[in-house]
Amino acid sequence: MAARTLKYIALCVGLVVFGYPFIWMIVGSLKPEMEIGNLKLWSSLLSFNSYRAVFTKIPIARAFFNSMFVSLSVTTLVVVLGSMVGYALAKLRFVGKGVLYILILFTMMIPFQITLIPQYVLMVKLGWTDTYLSLIVPSMMTGLSIVLFRQFFTSVPEALLDAARIDGCSELYILFRLIWPLSRPVIITVAILTFMASWNDVLWPMIVVRDRSLMTMPQLVAIFVIGGEAETQLGSLLAAATLLALPIIIAYSFFQRYFIESMASSGIKG
Amino acid sequence: MALILTTMRVCALTACVLGMLSMPWGCSGRQGARAPGGGEIVELTYWPAPNTQEIDLADSLVRGWNASHPLIHVRMQPIPVSQSSEEVLLAAIAGRTTPDVCSNIWPGALHDYTVSGGLIPLDSFSDFDSVSLSRMPKDLLESFRSGDGHYYQFPWKTNPVMMFYNLRLFREAGVTEVPRTYSEYFAAGAKVSRDTSGDGQIDVWMGERDVRPIWWQRLFDFYPFYIAASGGKTLFTNGNVDFDNAEARNVFAFFQECYSRNFFPKTYFVGGDPFDLEKKATHFAGPWEVAHLEKFVPSMRYGVAPLPVPDGHTGPVYTSGDYKNIAIFSTTTHPAESWEFVKYLVSAEHDLMLLEICNQIPVRGDLRSNRLFSDYFVRNPLMIHFADQAPFTRGMDSAPDLKEIFDAISQEYEGCAVYGRKSPAEAIHAAALRTKSIVEWNQ
Amino acid sequence: MSSPTNIFRRFKRSDRTAYVFVLPYLVYFATFVAYPLLFSLILMFHRWNIVTPMEWIGLKNFIRMFGDPLFFKSLVNTLVFLAIHIPLQIAVALAIALLLNARLRFRSFFRAVYFMPVVVSGVVVTILWQQMYLFDYGVFNSILTSIGLPRVPWLVDPSFAMPSIAIMATWKNVGIYIVLFLVGLQNIPGELYEAAELDGAASANQFLHITLPMLNPTVIAIVVLSTIGGFSLFIEPYVLTGGGPMQSTLSGMLYIYNQAFYFNHMGYAATLGITFALIVLSVVVIQRKLIEAEA
Repeated sequence: MAARTLKYIALCVGLVVFGYPFIWMIVGSLKPEMEIGNLKLWSSLLSFNSYRAVFTKIPIARAFFNSMFVSLSVTTLVVVLGSMVGYALAKLRFVGKGVLYILILFTMMIPFQITLIPQYVLMVKLGWTDTYLSLIVPSMMTGLSIVLFRQFFTSVPEALLDAARIDGCSELYILFRLIWPLSRPVIITVAILTFMASWNDVLWPMIVVRDRSLMTMPQLVAIFVIGGEAETQLGSLLAAATLLALPIIIAYSFFQRYFIESMASSGIKG
Repeated sequence: MALILTTMRVCALTACVLGMLSMPWGCSGRQGARAPGGGEIVELTYWPAPNTQEIDLADSLVRGWNASHPLIHVRMQPIPVSQSSEEVLLAAIAGRTTPDVCSNIWPGALHDYTVSGGLIPLDSFSDFDSVSLSRMPKDLLESFRSGDGHYYQFPWKTNPVMMFYNLRLFREAGVTEVPRTYSEYFAAGAKVSRDTSGDGQIDVWMGERDVRPIWWQRLFDFYPFYIAASGGKTLFTNGNVDFDNAEARNVFAFFQECYSRNFFPKTYFVGGDPFDLEKKATHFAGPWEVAHLEKFVPSMRYGVAPLPVPDGHTGPVYTSGDYKNIAIFSTTTHPAESWEFVKYLVSAEHDLMLLEICNQIPVRGDLRSNRLFSDYFVRNPLMIHFADQAPFTRGMDSAPDLKEIFDAISQEYEGCAVYGRKSPAEAIHAAALRTKSIVEWNQ
Repeated sequence: MSSPTNIFRRFKRSDRTAYVFVLPYLVYFATFVAYPLLFSLILMFHRWNIVTPMEWIGLKNFIRMFGDPLFFKSLVNTLVFLAIHIPLQIAVALAIALLLNARLRFRSFFRAVYFMPVVVSGVVVTILWQQMYLFDYGVFNSILTSIGLPRVPWLVDPSFAMPSIAIMATWKNVGIYIVLFLVGLQNIPGELYEAAELDGAASANQFLHITLPMLNPTVIAIVVLSTIGGFSLFIEPYVLTGGGPMQSTLSGMLYIYNQAFYFNHMGYAATLGITFALIVLSVVVIQRKLIEAEA
């Protein structure tokens, strides 16, 4: 019994370690500047002043829209296109299938350090810098999503497809009308992984977007922290951080199980 | 067959969507609009520096221009905020998204802009000489001529870096004379830097510099101090790296002592500028600081003085100028109209506005003699220091990769001055070596 | 392998739709993978600031790199980060996973909270820790001084800064590894423990001889993932320290970024990028060999 109690105490210490900083952040964003430094989670002078400052200093609402638009577009493209390639690899016959699969596995092994600079150059050459295109198109397909779809589709019984083909259904119909409804788990996994990676990415937007009105939310907040707005105050930093964290935390609190399972199943981080 | 048609339709749709996405956001589509009188309206884009005062200035200037020039409409857009304007401008040149006119051209980066053909030579306009010479003496203008003999920048404003000091903090610490030399500065520092609240932590400092090695931070400590200590030398002599010398070592030693004797804090200050918060007694900055202080800390009482120099220094005290100039980009389709706008920006009355709104010093020879400005200096006696310092300033060497060269100096400044892990001689030598390798790689 | 007629026959037998399905990927691959890879190889031999025309400079980029103290510094920094981050990550994740691997009330709640830093943007985490690491008013130093200990110069001392970032990165990512360990623990057949119990093995022994060896695949995965993650360390030092103090947190990725987008040296940055990529790949291969040999 004592061991059990100790276990709970240890777990609760963990709760403080992993949870307290977020609560401190949210409370700190509401506290007056002078009181942020202390550890207390309450102040008699809570207000939304820091948020007001953030909204007047940086186009954060616009950045939220940009991030949403970009991440949703990327996620849709990755799911649709990835499932098409995954389906072809799993269920269709064509020349070069084996080679293609190896190619896809190979791309997953290329460290992005190699392609980062030339991809940026490509964006410049295409004139895509400072457009949504540069944020969406280069990440509209991922090797991981194709591999996950292929893996899942392989387990779909062939008989089901044959029956549909005999009925004269096109492959498009089979994929999107027959297989998709059966593939919720893998679609959710791919969607969450893609959305998270896209939403949280800072390096790439930092490279291809310089126009503030096109910046994604993490990028804008990062630049707010280090950048020229030197009149920056601690409270507004925390408010900006809270605004950035909130959408994901809310989504996470609803779909917590899916998030954890997705990320664990692929073993990669967001 | 049906499938192919469907696929084609999907592709076409995707292409449309992608096409729409690639269109620049915002409204740049006013070309071709008709003026009430019937003539074609020319639209110019103008990028001022992205700080509050200069945006205010640009705003008034542009409004004045648009009111009096119905056929040449100027659209003002501050340089997008990023790490530095130079980065943004280079990216814009690469993407051919430069504006017509920009008034935040740092001479140190001019080399990079002109090599790529990003700017148009201003001396191609017939009245360039008369306009520029009416504003400044010939030898000053000459120092802005590029290697190929052309002028790509119109010298606009200079911000001599000087020492601001907080009168109250000096008085409370018993400092009665403004320090002029390194030892006077140390003597004052010993009195000023202390723990006033009794919690064992120093809370008032003699000075403070951002401890992060950001290259342009050196434009406010090492570089002006080196120009001052050396009586007006810059980093290069005849194109050769030339700062591995006693003056540079002296400057590093000065800052090393400031940190080791706890006159400067070694931590990065978050939560506001410590000079604004009256937590540091001296601050090295240009005249824009005057407007900043007026806006944010109107109650502070302070003075302005030349930078401290090594003991035994003789002659005038030089400093760095931090020039910012105006250029016209080669992407413009209306060079003549752009030049008209530049001339408008640099007219005497608008130089007065530059003084009034931004408290920055226009590059012109008649600041103290032209009666137009005398009223301003009566109302702003502090600015006289800057106007008087202006002739004793140095700009930037015209060298490639100045940014990385200052980065090299920054890294060594940090190791030597802030952390005291390297001697000034070692640090300066290492910085000069890296500078040489940068220059060699560029040949 | 297969004669032309053979390929033709296979082509005839294949599903036409497959080509339509695969076509977008081929276009994508050619544009965003193959072309950049090739272009990267070309860039290595050029000096290019993206604005002026490319200049062929032969091996100058390599010569510069081998004489560049910052290149070696950033490599060493990355290794320092990994040397602290990986063991810490494994120890903490394993300890928490063992605690959680039981029938507990609120088990999924605990797991959810520990996982939270994983889903939140690195920028948020960095801002939070920047405040907590502050020397004078930060949470950590407030706690230390309140129990009579001296302040720690977390981010402001060259010897502490990279360990501080490694601790922060562990806090951020440990949730994934807890879950991976939990999966690993649940995959250990219960009979193994029952057999050990019958033999009278102490629980410490059970842990050493059953649990740890069975978790080996998980450990390999964690080491490999953390290594790849460590080599792409960027936003944390970028926001927290800018690579300082004294370049002690200049990560490889940050140096590449600086050379490319701060100093506009595309060719040199590409050279650094390829070098770092080769280093990551070889480190990962060596790690695998080592861990598999251990087991």
